[in-house]
This record gives sequence, C-alpha cells and structure tokens, in this order.
Amino acid sequence: MLEPRKMSRLLIAGTKAEMGGVIADLYRRRLFHIEDFVGQEEYAGFRLGMPLAGATEASNELLKIRAATNAFGVHADGGPAPHRLSPAELRRSLQTELPEVDAQADELVTRRARLETRQKDLESRIAELQPFATVPIPMDLYRGYDSLAVLAGHVPADVTITAPHEKEYAGGKKGGFLVVFTPIGDRDAVERQLLDAGFAAVRIPDETGMPADAIARYQTEQASVEKELEGIGRQLAGLSELHASFLLAADELLSAEVEQAEAPLRFAVTDQTFVAEGWVPTADLPDIKASLERITGGKIHIEELPIDYDHDAVPVEYNNPRFAHPSELLVDLMSRPRYNEIDPTLLVSIVFPLFFGIILGDVGYGIVLLAMSFGLRRYLKGEAGNQLLDTLRNSSIAAIIFGLIYSEFFGVELPWKPLVFSRHLGIGSAAEAGAHGPDAAAMLIVSIWIGILHITLGRVLSIVNHARMDHGSHRTKAILAQTGWLAFMWGILVVIWSMYPIPLMLDLSAIGDVVAPIGLRPFGIIGIAMILYGMVAIGQENKLDLFELPTVISHVLSYARLLAVGLSSVAIALVTNYIALDLIVRPQLAALSPVGVVIIIVGILVLLIGHVVNLALGLLGSGLNSLRLHYVEFFTKFYKGGGRKYIPFGMKRLYTSEE
Amino acid sequence: MVDVSSAVLTAEMIQASQAGLKAVGAGLAVGLAGIGTGLGEMGIGAAAMGATAENRDMFGLALLFTVIPETIVIFGLVVALLLLFS
Repeated sequence: MLEPRKMSRLLIAGTKAEMGGVIADLYRRRLFHIEDFVGQEEYAGFRLGMPLAGATEASNELLKIRAATNAFGVHADGGPAPHRLSPAELRRSLQTELPEVDAQADELVTRRARLETRQKDLESRIAELQPFATVPIPMDLYRGYDSLAVLAGHVPADVTITAPHEKEYAGGKKGGFLVVFTPIGDRDAVERQLLDAGFAAVRIPDETGMPADAIARYQTEQASVEKELEGIGRQLAGLSELHASFLLAADELLSAEVEQAEAPLRFAVTDQTFVAEGWVPTADLPDIKASLERITGGKIHIEELPIDYDHDAVPVEYNNPRFAHPSELLVDLMSRPRYNEIDPTLLVSIVFPLFFGIILGDVGYGIVLLAMSFGLRRYLKGEAGNQLLDTLRNSSIAAIIFGLIYSEFFGVELPWKPLVFSRHLGIGSAAEAGAHGPDAAAMLIVSIWIGILHITLGRVLSIVNHARMDHGSHRTKAILAQTGWLAFMWGILVVIWSMYPIPLMLDLSAIGDVVAPIGLRPFGIIGIAMILYGMVAIGQENKLDLFELPTVISHVLSYARLLAVGLSSVAIALVTNYIALDLIVRPQLAALSPVGVVIIIVGILVLLIGHVVNLALGLLGSGLNSLRLHYVEFFTKFYKGGGRKYIPFGMKRLYTSEE
Repeated sequence: MVDVSSAVLTAEMIQASQAGLKAVGAGLAVGLAGIGTGLGEMGIGAAAMGATAENRDMFGLALLFTVIPETIVIFGLVVALLLLFS
C-alpha cells in the first residue's frame, strides 16, 4: 500500500541447450521483466543471442495471418474470446486452413485493387470528356490532320481571333469551352491571341464517336465496377465473420511463438552459454527459481543481484488493494510513480470520487451515471476501459450519497431538508416562496478547509519522499523547505484568524490584546514568525522558489471550485426545471387543449435536453475539476513520477488456451 | 419630458437598484474572468494538443498545463456567488 510492488533483480545463466525451456517457462509465467543486453562493460566477451530455430517460419506465417486479417477487416475488440482454441488444434488448422484462407484473401484483394484502379481510370476519362460534350463534334474529327492544328481549352469568355480559323464555343456560368481549328502555319498567332485571353488548354482525349455517347458508355461500366466492388466487400465481410476467431487465435499463437523465438536477441550469449538479466516481483522469486530448476533439472544458475537505486531504473508495478485498482489509470495518465517514491493511487482512489461527489452531488444524475458505468461496459472493453468505468461507478456512487445529503434529485428537493448545506438557489417557485439562497459562504469555507488539509497532506508526503529518495545535505535542505511551505501556509491562516473571526474556522481574534507598535495580537505575531521561518526555509533550498510563494494562496483558493462548479450545475438544473415545468408545462395542465398537449410535449423535450446537457457538463466539470485538483494542487507538492512500467515477458492470452 | 430634478428616489428603488447592480457585478465577474481564462488557455491548449499528438504520454501533463488558468474563472464564479448569496 502506498508503495509499488517490491522487485528483485535476477540473473539467470545456463547452457544454450536449456535456453528454449527457460524462455518457454518465463513466457508462461509472465513475471520476468527482461533487461535488454546492450553490451554492458561487465559482459566483455559476450555477444547478442540469435533467434531460436523456427523464428523465420513463424514470422512468415504471422505475416500471412496479418495480411488476411487486414484484408478481411477483422478487428479485435479487446475482450477475451468466448471459447478459446487449443494450440494443438490451432497448429493443425494452420497447416490445413492457412494456405486456403491466404489464397482467398490474396485473390480478393488483388481483384479489388484492379477494380479500384479501373474505377479511378474511368473517373478521369469521364472528367476529361465532360467539357467536350458541350461541343457537337465527334471525337474522331479532332485528330489525324496534316495541315490543321486543333486547340481545345477553357476561356473566361468568347475570344475574337484575327488569324484564319474555325472555332466552336460553348459558354457556361464559369467561363466557356473553346475548340479552335487553324492551319498549322497560323498556330503560333492563334495561340498567342488565345493565351492573351486567358486560355487554359486541355488534352484532347483519345476517343471515338460523340463525346456524350462515350461518357454514357463509361458511366455504365462504372456502375458495373461499383457493383462488383460491393460484391467483393460483401464476400470479404462474410469471410471475416467466418475466419475471425481463427485469425485472431492464430495471430496470438504465432505472436507468442515469435516473441519467444526472438527473446535471445535480448540476452547475452557465448558459444555455449547464455545470461539473462531482469526483474521479478520479490514475492514470486522462490516460485520462479523452483520452476526453472525443475525444468532444467538443476542445470541452471540463478542469482539475485543487489539493486543500485541511483543507476538501476527499477520497473514499477502497482501494489494496491482491489478497490484502488481503477485509479491506477488516473495516476498513469500523469506518470507512473518511481520505484522508491510514494504511490498516491490509494489516496486518489478515495479522494477523487469524494471530490466528484461533492461537486456533482445529485441523486438523479448519480443514478444515470451509475447506469452508464454498467451499460457502457459492452462497448468499452480492455483493461483501461474497465478502469475508467470502475472509476465512474465509484464516483457516481459518491455523487448519489452527496445528493442524499444535499437533498437533490435533478435539482428538485427530495422530501427532506438538506442535511448539512443547502445548495438550492431561489429560482422560480422557490423564489416566490421566499426560500433563502444556498449556504454559499459556509460551503466556501468548508471547501477551503478541504484544500488546506489536502495540501498539508501533500507536503507531508513530500517530506517522506525526500527522506527516502535524497541523500546527504540535499535531503536536510529539501525537508526543511517542505516544513517552510507548511509554516508559510499555516502562518498566513493564523494571522488571518487572529484578525477576523471567521465562521467554521478557529477564532483567535479575541485572544490577547493588540501589541501597540506592531498592531497585531499575540497569535498574529506567532503567525508572522511562522511566515518568516517559512520564507527562510524555502529560500535556503532554492531562492527562486520564493517567487512561487503566491501559489500557496492561489492553490488553497482553487479548492473553491468544489463549491463553485457544483453550484453552477445546480443552477442549470433549476433553470431547466423552471423553464420546462413552471413556464411551459404547468400553465397548459391547468386548462388542457389539443394545442396544449403539443406545448406540453415541447416542454418535456426542453426538460430532457436541458438535463442531458447539464449531465454532460456535470460529468466533464466534476471529473476534470476533481482530476485537476489532484494533478495541479496535490501532485505538484510531492509527486515526481517518470517510473518505468513493469512489462513482464509473456502474453495475456485472450484467444488461445495455455499449452 | 421627465423632469429629472424633481424625481424622488424611494427606499424600494434604491434597494432594487442595489440588487440590480449586484447582479450586473456578478455577471461581469464571471464573464470577464471567463474571457481571461479563455485567452490563457488558448495558447496552452494549442501547444498541449501538438505535444500530445507527437507523444501520447504527454496527455496527463498537457491536461495539467491546460487547466492551470481555469482557476481564474473559478475565482470569478466564487466572487459572483458571494455577491449574490451572502
């Protein structure tokens, strides 16, 4: 808890004869994070290993499988298959089915490519012919002259040509199309005059007959090509359905084979031996040792190496109780924690839903979001999707609980008064009844309290982190600076408390008399001393940090969003209810008429749209603001991140069973 | 023409105009703060998008940078709420 899983650095050495067995066992267990061999100094005389036998064949087959997968448009949905194929069965069907599937895919894709080329060709031919369709001359007459030159192209307007010629002009909205026949001797003169008039020549297509007929002919062909392509698309979709499970399973099996066969590329080898370095969770160490020794009959050397935290990047795997697991997504979104720093996932998993609930706090919206977090599971698969929806589930439960406390159901008051603070604004019928507004000031103070405590917690965690990760004088300085930040923040609070009585906060303003020359009460002087100590403690670590002092105030005040964002969402809900129910529906219900029914339906639509929009805003606002309070205000106090992900050698099988 | 010099301000009128000015002030607080936040997030958001497009791992950090100016509008909102309700 609050710490990543303990890792041990392992060195495995053995003869090359054992390498295949060792790799297969490590792959199956999925615990060994391989440290790539990159020619480190202590490995003088070693070189990179070569892939195991069978790597090339497996790669080739994998290539064919992937080609077919692409051709058929097979998509993995991320979830495990309903029934998994056994590797032996799959290998048999790879022998029999793969050549056939591959041939089918190849044939269809080639045909499709040919048809698509033809389609493009037809399109460009039609486009070329289109302007000539406006000129009533068969295409044969444009070619085959010895003494005549033919020019065709677009002009902005009709052109008067002085040289001997014969022309056909067809005008259109955006300029016209011009065809000019002229004796070869006058070609230059005609061209010059045409260019002056803005003539843009086009190629004369190599066709016969009237242009309109040619276009019609091509369009018919186009339609048939289109039909054929559709047929191929249907065939591919059919094949995709037929072979999807086989292709996905085969892809998985072969990927596993290739990964295992290529593992020696990450090992150091000599002619007869191999050495693999890597990381395993300390708890699994005895297991791995025992199983490797059993497989090789004891002919292997396994040694646990000492860890040098300053130089070794230890891979980090979370170690959290089950309910905190979804929040790992939120922490990973920022950055994986380092190996020897505090992992804040557990805190996030508690505080994030809490903030979300405080902001949203509505039973109705909470229930809708809770239903969404279950309903969306069908579409959002894979681990990250599940984590996201689990976070949403926890958050919406918190929103429901706070909704009960605030007594809110889609903005409407539940049958009881709000238990602690009221967030109901005097809008609509409530205003007429003279209801008093929300307890904005009290809630603001509570929000600030939450901020003060959250930030204090962050600073305390930072002290722990510095104590663990730093060395020597730097450690002392860094820890002192953190106490300085704490003293500065609490010092400001003490000074304020000593001057003004604030509800829900400590009242120090009545204690002691004002000390004449300073103008402060005794606690005010203590507060000033704390502030001064804070500044000195911060400055001794890094003087530039003193410029950051105002963030103490802005970060604490930033927690006011817990109140502000929530109240604005309540306001939208109340206004929606007021407009839809009070202004549109209720007057019609008083005297029902056919038109009134239509207006009532409109009112219900307004109600629905308003609440859907507000729900979307509430989800975004509550989620993002809660996340922001963690990332900006909380994490910046202690969290470094940048740890290396623990990626064990092996594969989570979704489509095939273990051998 | 209304003779301004002879107009009499009753206590109700003063109260009403006070309430009205409060509402205007609240509106200005949120609106102007919103414009400020928008201007701040404009540049950051564009750069954050670019960084995320180049490297997906930047997303968390990019989000963090983008929402930093948002505090301004929250302050505006808090001021508005305090004006209206306390």
